[in-house]
Parts: sequence; structure tokens; C-alpha cells
Amino acid sequence: MPAYRLRTLAAAALAPLLAVVAGCSTGTTPAAEAAGQPRSGGTLTWAVETEPITLNPHQYAQAKARLLVWNTFESLLTYDQQGKLAPWLATGWQVTPDALSYTLTLRDRVTFTDGTPFDSAAVKANIDKLREPGYAPGVAAVQLRNLKAVEAVDPRTVRLVLSAPDVLILDFLASPQGAQISPTSLRQAKNLKAGGIDVVGTGPFVLDRYVPGQELHYRRNAGYDWAPPTATHTGPAYLDGITYRFLKESAVRVGALTSSQVQLIEGVPATDQPLVTGNRTLRLTRELNSGSAYSYYFNTSHAPFDDLRVRQAFREAVDVDTVLTSVYRDTATRAWSVISPSSPLYDKRLEGGYSGDAAKANTLLDQAGWASRDADGYRVKGGKRLTVRLVQSAPFVRDRRDVLAQAVQAAVKQSAGIDLKVSLVDQGTATEALQRNEYEVFDNSRADTDAGAALNLLLHSKGGINRTQVNDPRIDQLLESGQATAEPTKRAGIYADLQQQVVAEQALVLPLYAPADQIAASVGVGGVRFEPTAGVPASAYDLWIGK
Amino acid sequence: MSRPPVRVVARRLGAGLVVLWVAATAAYLALLAAPGDTVDNIIGDGADTPQIRADIVTEWGLDRPALVQYVDYLRRLAGGDLGRSYLLQRPVAEVIGEQLAPTLALAVAAAGLGVLLALLIAVATAGDRRPFLRRASSGAELLLVSTPPFLIGLVLLSVLSFRFGFFPVSGDQGIAALVLPAVTLALPIAGLLAQVLRDGLDRALDEPFVLTARSRGVRERAVLVRHALRHALLPAVTLAGWLFGILLGGAVIVEQVFGRPGLGQVTLTAVSTRDMPVVLAVVTLSAAVYVVVNTAADLAYLLVDPRLRRS
Repeated sequence: MPAYRLRTLAAAALAPLLAVVAGCSTGTTPAAEAAGQPRSGGTLTWAVETEPITLNPHQYAQAKARLLVWNTFESLLTYDQQGKLAPWLATGWQVTPDALSYTLTLRDRVTFTDGTPFDSAAVKANIDKLREPGYAPGVAAVQLRNLKAVEAVDPRTVRLVLSAPDVLILDFLASPQGAQISPTSLRQAKNLKAGGIDVVGTGPFVLDRYVPGQELHYRRNAGYDWAPPTATHTGPAYLDGITYRFLKESAVRVGALTSSQVQLIEGVPATDQPLVTGNRTLRLTRELNSGSAYSYYFNTSHAPFDDLRVRQAFREAVDVDTVLTSVYRDTATRAWSVISPSSPLYDKRLEGGYSGDAAKANTLLDQAGWASRDADGYRVKGGKRLTVRLVQSAPFVRDRRDVLAQAVQAAVKQSAGIDLKVSLVDQGTATEALQRNEYEVFDNSRADTDAGAALNLLLHSKGGINRTQVNDPRIDQLLESGQATAEPTKRAGIYADLQQQVVAEQALVLPLYAPADQIAASVGVGGVRFEPTAGVPASAYDLWIGK
Repeated sequence: MSRPPVRVVARRLGAGLVVLWVAATAAYLALLAAPGDTVDNIIGDGADTPQIRADIVTEWGLDRPALVQYVDYLRRLAGGDLGRSYLLQRPVAEVIGEQLAPTLALAVAAAGLGVLLALLIAVATAGDRRPFLRRASSGAELLLVSTPPFLIGLVLLSVLSFRFGFFPVSGDQGIAALVLPAVTLALPIAGLLAQVLRDGLDRALDEPFVLTARSRGVRERAVLVRHALRHALLPAVTLAGWLFGILLGGAVIVEQVFGRPGLGQVTLTAVSTRDMPVVLAVVTLSAAVYVVVNTAADLAYLLVDPRLRRS
């Protein structure tokens, strides 16, 4: 018997066994709100999918690392449930009428966990460090682009002077990159950029053990007394400590949870969700991420997507609902705009604006001159097949986006004769294809709290990842005024116009789904929360262990 | 006529150094030829502006010609400096150093267990004594060799950890946490080694010296273990290099499934993000271990087969 057949047989024989074994519930505790009232004490173990590349918040780049960042570090501002900015280490801020100077008042009696006091000198030290060449080039060049100077007015007052109006500076002050690191750490840490137990903040927990490849352990910061207004309690954290274990395989995370080896997990793919929802001792919660929706961006710099009709045809050729159901069952939230539906800037009017209308797709392609078909059923024009290439970089494929691409590929072929070539390659190969302009479709989602930050990168003619290669003064102008406007209603109006331009009129993107995060937890764990606005799992501050 | 051992050792060392240099150079060239630009890989999914690019180029000295970077790399390598990881922003020696022990523990446990299992299976099933046992064992070995370690690991975890709770899923929890990963990695090794050993035993059992031994009234078990096994070991020892490859490749998967720290994870990430200093260090280290393992195998040959000592 050839080896491959044995392997297939083995896999087929073992798959149900796996499902049955993993599905067995380990106890008969009745469900309901077993966690009861919050209480102090105990330790938890949480299995996470992704190991952070760095533990220094200034270098933060992985959405999956956010839940760790806020255990040890805090920012000057945060977002509340309504997506509005709220105080944290800064109690408030004033902005001058020309929008060029922000004065922040700092909270009193806050100390870093190494004993260093938190004051305006500390804030200045952090921002100065961020602007030091070679330390955090991304933050300096993008988020602090319009920052001219930072002044420590008095111990509790900091002034940021801008060279141009920029409301995204407030988003920076609420972001992990703007989190406050002890100035002592900034000077003395052994591997500052990598972070570690000697890089400390003001947060409710202290990192006291890091075993790379295995786990992180935090103990409670007993002196903590400055929770943000968005938290559900004040004072020190409930838990004595928490361990985050890195388990990259979702089946292993779920198995560890069902066998009570861990009490919480994040990253529960659709295929594993029934194992959690079918178990009465566990609870599954999910929340949409903010930022940009997962979308296909069409490269408008050359044929065939330089033709609006072909871009529209591609969108009509995909019945997004059907595709999402087949890949994610009923767990994915469809996106209609480049902005996630959970963002306050989302334009609801786009819903239903385009949809899998195969007849329309075919008419549009006929009009665009792709009227005939070859022997394989693909459309051709001037002897050239209607081929578009999607290059996926393997390290960035999450949520089974490679499988989703195959489903889209089948859909566009079947309904309109479009040849979508999907290649899953290493990062270097993907970047090279993008740089040589050898792609027609680019896939991306970003988890920025303010969608404006993501759109600046994706749609501005000078944006770092402007893969549609759109160069439209109207779009640039909207993005720039969106960044310069503070008044929320006016700002929402600007981004609504932008979405109309990009999605409805120019069909630059095919929005697919809004990325979500999931937490599965034992019902005995209370206070499981997502971060408002960001939609990613919150820190361990509010967690408690019920009786 | 025996050569002076000093010369043998010196030649061995020289050959080892050449292997190291070739491996390091080949890895360097491969990474150089791989598509994509180092700066792109360091930036990854992050913000990308000319200023950021310039900063990265300056920080890592990427504007120097490839040859200069290569020579510099070899020079630093010779001095024991492995450089700094692009991705992790830490000294490579530190990154690898802290991951070495868990991988070593896993590899040694798996190799030991695999060899022991193979020996037991081969001795129990060699010869024509128990045809049923022999057939069953052959089938099981084939299954083990052809089942991906990933699947073996998941099944072991599901049953022994998730269902019955005998072993923890992962972590620094002593021997208990090492059992399942080591078994996962040992089973395919045992499967193949057992087959090779049994073939060797079968051939040895047909040799005249076995007949002589039997005619002296030596018991069957003793014939197998004391006489035939020594001959059967030769082809198995040849597989030492292969064994090492399996251990390293398998560790990548086993560490992923079990959430264990180790070199496998580091290597996988480094290769997929083209973190040159880490990849080069892992390649060089692997080559060094390979040289040691194969030298040891050659020496083992001499121990196992006295005839080789004379030639």
C-alpha cells in the first residue's frame, strides 16, 4: 500500500476520534453565571495563539499582542464603549483653536513598577525616545509625523506642539505605541527593543517570567490604583497572577481548555467553535475588530483592473455571503465597506450596494471587451485570458484566508469566467511580487483603533501600503481633512464621503468580512471582556475566578 | 597498519570546519538569492516610508556590498559573534542559547526512546519464529513511518492529555511534559530503525557464524542479542545522520503542536521572515552537530566492527 494512502486512511480514521475526544466535557457543573460576584485571589492560565515578537509596547505591531501590552503598560488616553477618547494616565487635554497645540494634564501619584514616578519628564522621555533615529522608525515617521516639539511645562503638564493639525495624534496617545515605559527602563534595559522583565510600565500587573516559545507570567501590582474609567472596577487587579501560554494549534488550545489545563483561550476558528458551544462548562464570546475590514484591493495601475467595469464585474461575480458561509459557517460578519462595521466611522449606506449578481458581472465584462471565452471557459480579449493574481504572504495568513481565496477563485470562475490565480508564498516572494507590480489583487485588514490611520496607509497616494495604486486628489484631500478634523460629526461625514468614493463609485475594493476575536473561557472565570473600540481581548485587569 | 590517532582527529576536524564553512556559505547564498529584500522583511506588515527604510539600512549596515557583508559575517562567526536578529532585535546567541536546552532534551529523549523501541521490536520479531507478530509489527512500523508527526502528536494529546489527563499539554513541567513530545518524535524513528535492524538481523541469522553458535548450543535469544545484533547495528549506525535530520525537522512540528519552547519554532519563524542572522546561526549550528554526530557514527563503526580497525 503506498504511503500516501495509508496517511489518508490514518487521517480519515483519526479525525472523528479527535473530534469525539476533544468534545467530551470534563465535568457536569451546570452552566449559568457560575462566576458570581467579583472576588480577589487565585491565578489563571490563558492559552494564546501568537507569541509577541517584542514585549516593548513602543515596538508593538501585532494585534494579537494587545491583550498582553495593557497588563504592564498604560497610555495617556483610552477609548470608551462609544468609541470616544477617555482619560487614563492623563486626566484631560486642551487643544488650542488652531489645533496645533495639545496640553495634557497628568494624573497624580502614579508610579512605575520600578518605583520611578510618572510625571511630565517621563512622558517627554518616552516621546523623545520614540523620535530617536533607529528606535521606532514606524512610529516616528507615521504617528508622530506632525509632532514638532514636546514640552514638560510643569511636573503634571505636558504640551505637544504640532506642525500641522492632526487628530490622529490623540489616537497615538491611546495606542500601545504611545504607552508609557519607565524612564529608568528606557535608560537601563538590557534589550530595550525586545522588552522583557526589565522594561516596566505603570500597569496593574508586573511581568516576572518570560520563557520564550512557552509562556509569560504576570503577578499583580499591589500598589495599582489608577484604573481607567472604562474598567469595571478600581484598585489592584483581582488575580494574584496570570500565565499566558503560547499554543499555536487551535485544536490543542481547545483541547487544553476542555481538559481544564487552561481556563481561557483566544483564537477559536469556526471549525472548533462547536466544541466550545456544545460544552456547558465553557462559554464563547466574540467581538468584531475595529480598523479596516478584510478586503481585496484591486490594483488599478494596469489591465484589467484599470477598467472600472472589470472591478465592478469582479465584485458582482462573488456571492460573498455564500462564500463566507462555506468557509466560516455562520461565524463571519460580512463587510460592506473598507472600514469595519464596528468602527464609529463606518458608513452604513453602503450595505447591499453590490452583490453577487452574475448576470450583471457578465454584462459588464462584455461591455469591457472581454466578450469571448476560451476552451476552459475563461474570458479572453485580444488572445489574452482574463487572469488576475493574488499573492498571499504565508506569515500573514490568518482566519484560513487561503481557503477563502480558493472559494472566491471558484466563484469568479464559475459565474463570470475570471481566472483568479492564488499563490501562497513566503514573505520575501510576496513583497517582491508587490514591488514589481506583478499582482492585481492585494488582501489586507488592519486592526488600528482609528480607521483613519489604516486608510491613510491603504488609500492615500503616498500611503505605505497603497496597493490599489490609486492616485486621486479627491481621496487624498478627504484623508487629509479627516486627519485634521476633530469634530466627530464632521469627521464621520468626511469618512462617509471617502467610503462612497472608494467603495461605491470607484469600486477599488471588494470588502469581504470584518475580522473578529474570540475568547472561550471556563464559566467559572468572570470579567471576560474585549477592549472597547479595538474589539480585541482586554487585559487581565477585570478577570476574576468565581467560586 | 594503523594511522596515528592525532592525524585522524586533525583530518576530521579540518573536514568538519570545511563542512561548516560550506553550510554557512550555502545558507548565505540561498538567502541572498531568495526573492524579496531584507529591508522589506524587517518592515514586514508595518509602516513603510523612505525614512524608515533609510534607518533600517543604517542600523543593520545593509548598504554595504553583499560580499563585504558576507566576509564580515564569516569574520564575526569565527570570533563566536552570531550577530543580532532582525526580527527579535536581540543577540542571536542569546535567542538560540535559551532555546537550545529544551530542543536538546527533546531530541535526546526522542532518539533514546526511538532506538530502544527499535531494538526491542527488532529483536522480538527477527527470524522466522513468530510470523504473525512479525507481520503485525511490519504493518505498525509502516503506519508510524508514514503518519505525519503532527497527527501522531494530536492523537496522543487528545487521548492521553485532554481525555485522561495523564500528561500536561505543554510547558516547563519537568519530565511529564517531555513524555508526549518525545514519544511523538520517537515513533517514526522507531518505525524505520526497527525495519532496518530486523533486515540486518535476518541477514546475520543466515551467516555461518550463527550456525556455529547454534551448534554450540547457544540459546536463540543469546544468538540474536550477542552475535547477530552486532552485525545488524552497522546499517542502523549509518542512519545516524538521517536520524539527526528527522529530529531537527520533527522538532519544528512537535514544538508547534505541544507549545514547547525550542529551536524548531525559532527556525520556522526566522526562515519565513528571512531573519538572516538567526537562519545562518541555526544552519551553522546544525552543520556543527551533524559533523559531531557523523564523526561519532564513524567511531561507533570501529567499535561495532573490529574488522574495520585493521584496514
